[in-house]
This record gives sequence, structure tokens and C-alpha cells, in this order.
Amino acid sequence: MLLIPKKRRSIPALYPGAPYWLRYILPALLVYLLFMAWPLLDSVRLSFYTGNAANRSFTGFSNYVRLFAGGEVTDRYWGAFGQTWYFFAIHMLVQNVLGLLFAAMLSNATLRGRQVYQTIIFLPTTLAILVTGYLWKLILNPLWTRDVLTGAGLGALVYPWLGEASTALTAVSLVSCWQWVGIPTVMFVAAMGNVPGDLLEAASIEGANTWHQFRHIKLPIIMPVVGIVTILTFVNNFNAFDAVFAMTGPNGPPNYKTDLIGTLFYRVGMAGQHPVAIPDTGLGAAIATVTFFMLCCGVIPTLKRTQTKE
Amino acid sequence: MKKCIVFLLAALMAIIPLAASAEVSLTMGSWRADDVQQMNNLLALYKEKTGVEIVFQPIDPPQYNTILRQYLEGGIGPDLMYARSYAPGRENYNAGYFFDCSDIPGLKDNFTPSSLEPWQNADGTMFAVPFAAVSHSVYYNQNLFDEHNLAVPATWEEFIAVCEALKAAGITPLANGIADNWDILEVAFLNMLPNYVGGAAERALYESGEKPLNDEAFVMAYTDFASLAPFLDPGFSAITYNDSQVMFATERAAMFMDGSWTCGTYDDVYFEWSVFAVPAREGSETRICFHPDMAITMNNATEHPEEAQAFLAWLCSVEGATEASKVLPAGFFPMINAAITIDEPHANAILALNEGKQTDARFVWPVYLDLYTPMLEQLNALLKGETTPQAAADFVNSLVQPASAQ
Repeated sequence: MLLIPKKRRSIPALYPGAPYWLRYILPALLVYLLFMAWPLLDSVRLSFYTGNAANRSFTGFSNYVRLFAGGEVTDRYWGAFGQTWYFFAIHMLVQNVLGLLFAAMLSNATLRGRQVYQTIIFLPTTLAILVTGYLWKLILNPLWTRDVLTGAGLGALVYPWLGEASTALTAVSLVSCWQWVGIPTVMFVAAMGNVPGDLLEAASIEGANTWHQFRHIKLPIIMPVVGIVTILTFVNNFNAFDAVFAMTGPNGPPNYKTDLIGTLFYRVGMAGQHPVAIPDTGLGAAIATVTFFMLCCGVIPTLKRTQTKE
Repeated sequence: MKKCIVFLLAALMAIIPLAASAEVSLTMGSWRADDVQQMNNLLALYKEKTGVEIVFQPIDPPQYNTILRQYLEGGIGPDLMYARSYAPGRENYNAGYFFDCSDIPGLKDNFTPSSLEPWQNADGTMFAVPFAAVSHSVYYNQNLFDEHNLAVPATWEEFIAVCEALKAAGITPLANGIADNWDILEVAFLNMLPNYVGGAAERALYESGEKPLNDEAFVMAYTDFASLAPFLDPGFSAITYNDSQVMFATERAAMFMDGSWTCGTYDDVYFEWSVFAVPAREGSETRICFHPDMAITMNNATEHPEEAQAFLAWLCSVEGATEASKVLPAGFFPMINAAITIDEPHANAILALNEGKQTDARFVWPVYLDLYTPMLEQLNALLKGETTPQAAADFVNSLVQPASAQ
């Protein structure tokens, strides 16, 4: 209480009912409102309009009707919707499970060369996806790696992975996993550092093997971090755009099989499609708004389930 | 004091227009951000001649249509600007932004009707003056052809025989791929298409609905296109336009169906190369896809209409078009109806293919731009063997029916 200067006309002084902590969050709140909340609400508003910046008119729900009433836009949307879930599932299964595995190995007290492994695992995360995506695009292109792979006796791997509908999305997802696996690893390593050593010692004296220790001691303690990692993966994948953009392009080829909600939004709302390339900002805003509410529906229950038990 | 300032301001305002008329400065909008140097040279030459300064202000190409429209609507559009051919350009004329160029001296006399058509309104008036076109052909590696005793094919059958011979010799015949989702349509299929469906007059029959887009000619075009699949790299589904260029430049492929704008790319290669027109089937006439690309027009709201129109008239004169053709990048061709020689030998070779042949724009541009993406998707499926030529033609045609029924 001593911190409050008596003579300055601060906000609590002007509005005696306001809590004293308001002034501490006010700067951040203003920045948040100006750069996050307002654009978000404005994009909700845009989704009820049609036309471009100079010539906008109110159309009610017609953008949403177009989005869900059938026809090409609807096909593209549900295609991208399904593919985004697939993209998310691959990340949960590969990126986060590998992250957990790496963390369990790295937090093993007897491991030698820990620094080396940590660096290798985290290195891709520090590179730009536009760079790594482009490199992987070349590596996965038989034109450039056919000779090397055949020479190494790996001829079976020569395949246009990114060009075929059956493999393209999986290939892009796995590259994205490779790129980002360092993040969950770091978070899980930090969380496992909080597991009390005497607890594990006691457990091993009682006869618990490594799996039992992991399952019944480490995992329950790091559960809140698992929740956070799940939420981050969910949010990042539903906004994913750059991996696809870098590796197969904004049209989500082949035949829209690598189209995600992020690339669909970019194509419809921001860039337009070649050769006319005139964007439909209203429809794009409708896609963004639907995505926003979907993210809320996914994030809030996950938060409740994993973060309440302290 | 106040009166003094008012007087000074009034005096200034009286002087400014005088000073301005002594040296007029115009702005020019464009999507050719790659040609700043060349255009500045041309405009400097024009300033020497007339004293009128024109400042070239290009916009990021994919954003051009959108940003130009916003500038025009906001009243800050450039005095002169590049105009897209067909509907995207016509829309700006209908909205009242583009000048009616019909009476620009030289326009009606120095251009053929087919060169005027892309920038013509329904009532015959012109919304821009033609500036440059691009062409399409097959680039081929002369060294590889000589090595395997291959001659330039004159018919489609000979072309396929050349492809087979190259493939038998272990060389990838064609560098084209489908991963970028534009080039296979624009530089391969639409390059071939005039050989099957005919020139501008026949295209009009498809556009008016007299001929369906799944007639015999179209099915034959899709059939011949699909027959190219074995002559592409086996990984063609992952090959981008960039990859194709590198394949041709590094002799990993002997031929490349491509547009003329690339011809400057191969200045440094270690082999001799040239071009031939995609040949028609035996007994059919070979035609060229010569696509009108750039035109220039005046902003109706400009403050210097006289000077701007004088520049357009200069572009419509043989002298102006000749000067312009010298600065255009290799592979962009003047559209004026006069014998202009181009110094760059490869570009000249591409232009020479037009001699004695009918030419036409890319089929979908004038009316059927909505078919661009569906047609492209059918081409991808054809090469992958996921559809048949007849089914592809039927599908594309099914999208036309509502339009022709109007």
C-alpha cells in the first residue's frame, strides 16, 4: 500500500472504486486492445461486408452462407478443415511424442553429451521455415536427389513426395514436426527438472522401473505442461501457413491436398488466386472468424482440464 | 501582417502553375517492377525529345490490379498506367478511370484489329494503346539434337518421334512440370491449343457458344497433351517452373515448352539453343500463341491530359514503338504493325516463328478466365493418368454451359 503516491492523480484516485492493480496492467492492456483485440473484432465486422477497401457494402451473413452453403468455396473449406486436423494430429503424434521421448532421455542423470543432443534437437527451431521448407522441397524432389539416393542404395526413397496427393500433406507435416520438435522438448525438459529427485529415488528403492517412474511420477507432475504444449500445438497448427507456403505454395497443391485453413484464408482473403488475383476480404474475414471461434472451443476446455489442478 | 501573408500566398499560387507548365512531370504506374532501368532509359529519351518528364512508378506485380484500383478510387492514380488486357482492364474503363484512347493518332492505322482487340470495349472504343506481347514456343538444345541426329519436328507426329528418340537415348525430352500450378497450362497446353481449335475467329465461335469446349478439336488437344506424360521427368509432379528452367539450362532435359519472357535467362549456358513452334498434327496448320500482355493508358483525372496523350501518340508511332522495342526486356515484343528488327538473336528467332502463321491470345484470357483453374486441374489429372481426355473436356465444358445459355 505504501507504493501508491498520495498526491498524484492516479487512476485509483480518479476512480476510487477501481482496484489498485489496474494501473499496472493498463499499458499492456492498451497495447493488447489496440493491436490484438481491436483488429480481431474489426475482422469479425469485415466478415459482414463485401467489396474492397474503397467500395465496401454490408451484406449480412452472405459470406457465411457462401462459406457453408455448398459449392466450390465449401468444398475448399471442409477440405482445408480436415487437412488442418490431420496436420494437427501428426504434430501431436510425432512432434509432441518425440519431444516427450527426447525430454525423458535428456533428463536422465547418467546421459553423456547432453549439450550436443540438446543443440541438435533445438537447431532446426532456430532456422526460418521458409529456408528449411525450401531445403526440404529440394531434398524431397527426385530431380535433385535421385542420383545421391540411388548411389546410396536408397532408390526406394526416390519419389515425388510433395507432388502426389497421397503423400504431400504427410511430408509437409513431418517437415514441420522436424522443424519445431525442439520447442516441446525444451518445455518438457524444464518440467521434468521440477520432479523431485528423492521421489524418484524412493520409487526406485520400492522397485519401480523406468516406465513406472515415468508413468506414475513424472507424467502426473508435468501434466500442466502437456496441456500447454497441446494448446500451443493446436493454436499454431490451426494458424499454420508458412510450412505449406514454403513447400508446396499457396494453392495447396496437388489438387488442394495440402491446403490448410491458413493457406485458404491467405488465398481467399489476402492474395487472390492467379491469374486475376483480386482478394475477397469479406469471405476471408469470415474464414478467419470461424477459425477464431473454433480455436476458442478447442482451447478453453483444454485449459480447464489441464490447468485447474495445481 | 495577415494581409501580407495572404498576398504572398496569392502571388505564389499564381506563379506555381507557370513554373509547372514550364516542366511538366507525369507519373506512370506499372506491374513491371523488373524493368525499371529499361523504362527509365526510354522515358529519359522521351524527355530529351519533348521536355516532358515521366516518372516510372511500378507496383509489386501480384498486387497491381488491387492497388491501382484503390489509387484510382482514392483520386491519387498515376497520370499514365499499364492496362491489363481483356476484362480486368475493361473494368477500370467502365468505372470511368481509363481514358477513351480511340482517337489517339496512329492507333487505328498502325495496329492490326487482332492487336487492338484485347484493349477494346464492346462498342469498339479503345481503353489503352497496345505496348507489348509475349509469345510461346518450344526451346530446344541444339547440341543434343545434333548429337542424336534429330531434326526440328515439323508435325506433331515428328515431335513425338523426337521425344521417343531422346528418351531411348536416356535424355529427358521435356523439362516441364506441374508443381507450380500455372506454367503447365500457360506455357504448355495453351501454347499447343491454337493448333487444334484455330485462331481468333474460331475462338470467337467457342466464346459465343456455337462450338462446345468438348468438341473433337478439344478432345484431340487433351489427348495429345496427355501423351506427353511419359516424356516428362518421372517426378514431374514435384517439378516447379524454376526446376524446369534449371533442367533445361543444365542439359538435364532437351526441350522446354515455355514463354518468350524466359529467353534472357539462358544467356550464359554452354550449349547452343533455339526455338520451334509447337507443331500441329500432320495435315493441320501450325499456329502460334502470341499473347497481348501490356498496354498503356491515361488516367481520366490527370492534370496534364495533353502531355499524356502526346506520349500515347508517340507510342503509336513507328518511331516511338521502335525506341520502345529497343528497351523492352528480351522476349517482350512490340505490337505495332511495322517491320521492327530486334537485336537479341533468340528473341528474334521466337518472333520469326510468327511469319506466315496465324496467331492468337491464350485461349481462356478473353472470355473464359474463370476456366483457368478448372482447366489447369484437369491437365494435372491427365498427366497423372487420373482422368481421360474426353472426361476432362466434358468437365471443363460443363462449367461453360450456364454462361453460354445467357
